[in-house]
Amino acid sequence: MSQPLLEVRNLRTYLQSGDREVRAVDDVSFSIPKGETFCLVGESGSGKSVCALSVIRLLPQGIASHPSGEIVLNGQDLLKLDDPRIRAVRGSHIAMIFQEPMTSLNPVLTIGEQITETLQLHYPDMSDAEAEQRTIMALEQVQIPHASSRFRDYPHQLSGGQRQRVMIAMALACKPQLLIADEPTTALDVTVQAEILRLMRKLQDDTGMSMLFITHDFGVVTQMAQWVGVMQQGKMVEVGSCTEVLRNPQHPYTRQLLAALPENLAKPVRGRSLSQNAAGELAADQAPLVQIRDLKVWFPIKKGLLRRTVDYVRAVDDVSLDIPQGEIVALVGESGCGKTTLGRAVLQLEKPTAGSIQIQGQELIGLSAGELRPLRRKMQIAFQDPQSSLNPRLLIETTLAEPMKVHGIGANHEERIELAAQLLESVQLKRHFLWRYPHEFSGGQRQRIGLARALTLDPEFIVCDEITSALDVSVQAEILQLLLSIRQQRNLSLLFITHNIGVVEYLSDRTVVMYKGKIVEQGLTEQVCSHPQQAYTQKLLSAVPRLKVENKPFLKLNKEIAL
Amino acid sequence: MIEHVVSRESFASRIWRRTLEGVGVKVGFAWVMLLVFAAVFAPFLANSMPLLMSKEGVISAPVLQYLSVEDVWILATFFIALAVYLLRRLSTGKRILLFMLGALVAAVLANLFVKPPVLLIYDNFRTAAYTEVDWRIMPPVPYAPTDYLRDLNSRGLEAPFASEGRIHLMGTEENGADVLSRMIHACRISLSIGLIASGIALLIGVVVGGLMGYFSGIVDILGMRLVEIFEDIPTLFLLLTFVAFFGRSLYMMMVIIGVTGWSGYARYVRTEFLKLRKQDYVQAAVASGLPLTSILFRHMLPNGVAPLLVAVSFGVAGAILSEATLSFLGLGVVDAPSWGQMLDQAVKSSTFNWWMAVFPGGAIFMTVFSYNLIGEAFRDAIDPQLARKTGGDK
Repeated sequence: MSQPLLEVRNLRTYLQSGDREVRAVDDVSFSIPKGETFCLVGESGSGKSVCALSVIRLLPQGIASHPSGEIVLNGQDLLKLDDPRIRAVRGSHIAMIFQEPMTSLNPVLTIGEQITETLQLHYPDMSDAEAEQRTIMALEQVQIPHASSRFRDYPHQLSGGQRQRVMIAMALACKPQLLIADEPTTALDVTVQAEILRLMRKLQDDTGMSMLFITHDFGVVTQMAQWVGVMQQGKMVEVGSCTEVLRNPQHPYTRQLLAALPENLAKPVRGRSLSQNAAGELAADQAPLVQIRDLKVWFPIKKGLLRRTVDYVRAVDDVSLDIPQGEIVALVGESGCGKTTLGRAVLQLEKPTAGSIQIQGQELIGLSAGELRPLRRKMQIAFQDPQSSLNPRLLIETTLAEPMKVHGIGANHEERIELAAQLLESVQLKRHFLWRYPHEFSGGQRQRIGLARALTLDPEFIVCDEITSALDVSVQAEILQLLLSIRQQRNLSLLFITHNIGVVEYLSDRTVVMYKGKIVEQGLTEQVCSHPQQAYTQKLLSAVPRLKVENKPFLKLNKEIAL
Repeated sequence: MIEHVVSRESFASRIWRRTLEGVGVKVGFAWVMLLVFAAVFAPFLANSMPLLMSKEGVISAPVLQYLSVEDVWILATFFIALAVYLLRRLSTGKRILLFMLGALVAAVLANLFVKPPVLLIYDNFRTAAYTEVDWRIMPPVPYAPTDYLRDLNSRGLEAPFASEGRIHLMGTEENGADVLSRMIHACRISLSIGLIASGIALLIGVVVGGLMGYFSGIVDILGMRLVEIFEDIPTLFLLLTFVAFFGRSLYMMMVIIGVTGWSGYARYVRTEFLKLRKQDYVQAAVASGLPLTSILFRHMLPNGVAPLLVAVSFGVAGAILSEATLSFLGLGVVDAPSWGQMLDQAVKSSTFNWWMAVFPGGAIFMTVFSYNLIGEAFRDAIDPQLARKTGGDK
């Protein structure tokens, strides 16, 4: 190990929350050598962000305290510096970039002004012309096309990926020695993420800075880190070189995290013979459960005084798709490609512009709300956000029993409650959870309840809209296993909307890739994932950060056994 | 995975607990409770007749005999409200329905069966028929609000404790009536105008705003124009005009304040519904094929009602001020005392009598202040950003 740039020794950060004290960071030590990257990995609430904020001293002083520890940068203990001196360190020696590119730039200032301001703050002698020159150079450095003309652009004129580049340019404008990146690519699509990660590695090579990189994604870790620290509940449970930790994890928690990754989960044996022959084609006599033909969902763009429709946003454009009985169809694509709109249109939550949707041969489009009601039993939906998917004012019992009452399931109230309790048990929750409110549950539990609600009407078909994206990997693994077992028991069909390729490979029988409202490729998951035909699919798959090659043979072997 | 420490509190009781956390809001609630108590039991608190007396072995309660239809109805409604509140086994909706039904029945019964003596001469209660008794219990304030104490030679405008042989805690007004008694009876007007006017405004606002928010599109565009039209009506001048043409009536005032004051509530409800419509749990309710009434009133309204209640608490204060303003201008109700009217008296008299201004003015101030305190505490309690600071989960 070369000379360390940053050394953190026995750092403790306690946060005051009401009248209790949370040990957010508890006795953490690590060091970052010059020009290398240290990755902090852990699930939500493990204290990795607080740890990084402690290093740059950005925690609110009234709430955060450091009972012990040293943070030594260039031989200087940052915890002992007073406010004016720490401000001089921030920006010039340490810079930080954040997760959310949409909110971390000031929307009323141009990007040029924002970078120039940082520069002139740290170099008061710099002239305006020189600052502008340096800014344009910084923008060029982060590969923003036509940097000099973008200088006067406002943040809303840039895409998410470009904003994150501007953030990086701003952070690097004063040539810091240490860059702290707090989940800088989590909010971005995989292809954009791949570009940003490549850019950050290149900038590190050019400038020789060190990075403290926070992430929950082991794929990103393998791409970025020389050193890894795994955090659990404020403690650093394992520190070591990246290859060492990933190949030979010592701590049980690290092993558990790695095992919970979708690509490492043991694949269940599939009941392929049911509806398909060896080639994976549908048997001729087996009609698909849901048949979508030439579906269009267009949103009008209205302009002017008379609100005339000038154009359409073609969210879903000429999509045709079959969902066979008892199969899981994964719908993959980047944000804004129309996959969620498609899912909602199938359930008639979004009014389609044209096309046909049939479930068991019955046409859905053009039906009135009353005619649609009996058909709603057959198709249900589960949502992404555990915060908003359950009505906060209603008991779980009401949420589960009300749809049954409307559709005449169960003879009386007692029977419906018994059915609801059985549903909770089927998603591995306890019966007495019926008498609780949504805010009493964790995110994973709420997603299970969301699934239970989708199952209340005993549907044939469920749309799962990114139901695991807001969850930690270990919880995600549990939910995925639960989905598979429910599918097995009830012979359900699922339309599983996701952007996570690992989940697709683990879960689905078929994969449909969407791009800009159109389906670019569809087929059996193994074929699409291992031999993508279309250029876009290839680009998407190659952008997915994966664990190191060492794991690959194990994975492939496992898959072959499963098939 | 860390299991969150969970609480068994319902959403409503959590909000209620957080609302009551401050000191100011407790004072505000105490004041409003005091007003309610005074308004309901006014005839028993300040009246010229004995509550209970025994004359030649016959025990009678003159106050009960002289209770007006209004008094009986208010008392009945209060006890129905209390009983319904204690019936915890029923759902909130059923309890509200039961209360409304009870109040209606009480109003009909009171009108049919309560027949107080038509002629009411307070001086009679100080004659031998009521004074030469075995024993009697008088109200805490032994003067009715419209008892001008002519037989006692009241000169009027006596400062507190300045009268000879009588105790007037807040002095007397120009006609000689006791100010404290008038203050107590005036609680009714202030409370009822605040609650009923806001109730009318709330009802119209929720219906119009809810329809605008849920259906959006053309309904929303038309509704917003209607809202804008009503926002432009100057309530005070409309009130003055109506008083000039149709004379003075408390009920007219309530209706006018209510009918012109709903636009703000409609805006709140509309915004909330537009937001809620896209919430996943509402979408899930639609996907389950639930009927429209359930979606609107069970899944959407309870989640959008909180910011509205804050606005209402400010609206109640506004309505009280409107009535006080009107009475202050001499255009309020004639026969019943109100705080604004008392302030008007204070200004019109030739000399400045501090007790005529301080007590009603202070009461108006305290009431408006209390409602604003409650509204503010409520707003803070439902704001998740502020709630997180006081020990929520991260």
